[in-house]
Amino acid sequence: MENLNISVVLPVESSKHKGFELLFKSCITSIINQVRTCPKRGQCVEDIELVLVHSGEEDLESFINGFDFSGLTTNIVHNTGDTDFCSQINLGVEKSTNEWVSLFEFDDEYSSIWFKNVSKYIDSYPDVKAFLPLVVDTDEKGVFAGFTNEATFAANMNSEIGYLTNEVLLNYQNFQTSGMVFKKSLFEDFGGFKKSIKLTFVYELLLRLTYNSASIMTIPKIGYKHSNMREGSVFWDYKFGSSPLTQDEVSFWIDLAKKEHFFKEDRNIKFELGEV
Amino acid sequence: MNEETILKVEQSVKNLSDKSCRIYFLCQDTKGNAKAGVRMIYDMALTLKNNGFNTIIMHEKNDYYGVESWLGEEYSEIPHSCIENQDLKVSPEDFIIIPEVYGHVMEQISKLSCAKIVLCQSYDHMLETLQPGTSWTNHGFTKCITTNEAQKEYIKDIMKNVSFDILEPLIGDEYGPKTLPSKPIVSIHTREQRDTMKIIKTFYLKYPQYRWITFRDMRGLSPEEFSEYLKDSFVSVWVDDTSGFGTFPLESMISRTPVIGKVPNLKPEWLSDDNGVWTYEQNNIHDILAEFIQNWLEDNINEELYDKGLEMGKKYNDKELFTEKLTTLFDSYISQRKEIFESQLEKIKIEEEG
Repeated sequence: MENLNISVVLPVESSKHKGFELLFKSCITSIINQVRTCPKRGQCVEDIELVLVHSGEEDLESFINGFDFSGLTTNIVHNTGDTDFCSQINLGVEKSTNEWVSLFEFDDEYSSIWFKNVSKYIDSYPDVKAFLPLVVDTDEKGVFAGFTNEATFAANMNSEIGYLTNEVLLNYQNFQTSGMVFKKSLFEDFGGFKKSIKLTFVYELLLRLTYNSASIMTIPKIGYKHSNMREGSVFWDYKFGSSPLTQDEVSFWIDLAKKEHFFKEDRNIKFELGEV
Repeated sequence: MNEETILKVEQSVKNLSDKSCRIYFLCQDTKGNAKAGVRMIYDMALTLKNNGFNTIIMHEKNDYYGVESWLGEEYSEIPHSCIENQDLKVSPEDFIIIPEVYGHVMEQISKLSCAKIVLCQSYDHMLETLQPGTSWTNHGFTKCITTNEAQKEYIKDIMKNVSFDILEPLIGDEYGPKTLPSKPIVSIHTREQRDTMKIIKTFYLKYPQYRWITFRDMRGLSPEEFSEYLKDSFVSVWVDDTSGFGTFPLESMISRTPVIGKVPNLKPEWLSDDNGVWTYEQNNIHDILAEFIQNWLEDNINEELYDKGLEMGKKYNDKELFTEKLTTLFDSYISQRKEIFESQLEKIKIEEEG
């Protein structure tokens, strides 16, 4: 098999997050480790392009300029447009130069075996366009909290074990795209994240991809370690931020994802609570 | 009178010489369900037939279901004969091979003067239908074919004055190393079905974080389904205290699916420290499995476990070797039998001359 080239899209909007430098260093090390841990059987990652999308914040830019990215091909993108998570990712995917792209967050880590397994699965399942990792979620102290993306394997969920289908998604929303490795053409053909969708933008994207028959599979290997409750993260903000989402709002965004996934473009949805 | 006897004995010698003597294999009716023990009988019968022996599958009832549905058409080409029918012909030069569980049939055919051999694949069943105090030899069965040394030693201690031969089962061609990555599926095979349920339920209660791991009970599958499911699985669980041989773990090893198993009461020769994850305690199977899962999810299983398993499994997947051992064994039975008839013939002729 041919060696794999992957672009890793890493959005960073500010360096002012608690523990940023340490987290950033760990995340970059975990990317570099993907090449170091190539197995002897020839399933190997040839090159990783790091597409680092940043907001241009002064401190952040100087931190990035001084950081040692040895071992990676870097593609630093200064985003002069919207710097919300979805827009940063969409821009990063657009600027990436490889056929396969992976989404990454600075407070997370790839497990060292992830790309090696992706490479193996691309070879075994040539029709699959996106591979989800089995994600280990950790709490704020780094303690195991549970798995995500594992539901594709549950016997009562799916007729074909491991595959994510539109039917599964309509019944179960808890899937993550962090760490996912997918063909860039998926974003080109079916659109990227929709920034106007809060909370369920990942869910909406997966619904849209599966609705358009993109074959998505979870690889039953721990591929990604996700800190799901880091203070200041997008989802922490929804839950504990200055104006946490109410249950009604959560339901609204889930229903909205189910309605919007038929459309490729972001239709600029606004949520407003009306008077009762 | 003697002339007639001489002709009969001469005919027997001829039938033994040209291998036209009949070799009957009594076989249980599994009603279309796959069973390793029955497969071995059919493998023996078919291999002998394909090598010039005259084999016949013998069954108890006329409504015998057969094995075509799960073993394939090839096996139905072996002639079949029913005990119920009156046309069952057994001559002195013929052979009847009876599985160990049919003690009552041994008793019924004890008066037949043909060669009688016990095929003992499962020592645990050998006394089931025998009267207390009765041995195989009481019914004229003085030879036994069994599947491994450990079983032979055990039986030898109980069934005195019986000679033993060992023939290991053949693992079918449908088993082979997987070509696709494994899925998070555990193949489980236990002697008692309640053990399967007990293991699964306990595991899910003790390790709820792995509730998405699927268990597949390997009962009642065709060999093709069985082999496909084994290839799908990332690990097998095997609990069979009274196993006489253990084809399931070997089939699993050939598929490159490691085995977590409880060491049976009679430890088979193929079982070694490096070709599986073995325990003497059934109650810690769940914990071993959970640890194995964690390591598998992290790609942390030593390749040697897969390689040693495959290496061992392949030893029982060699059709040529199985054929050679089997035909050599039956050639020796025939030649021993022929010697008896020839010496009998000589005696009669001497008497005649006298």
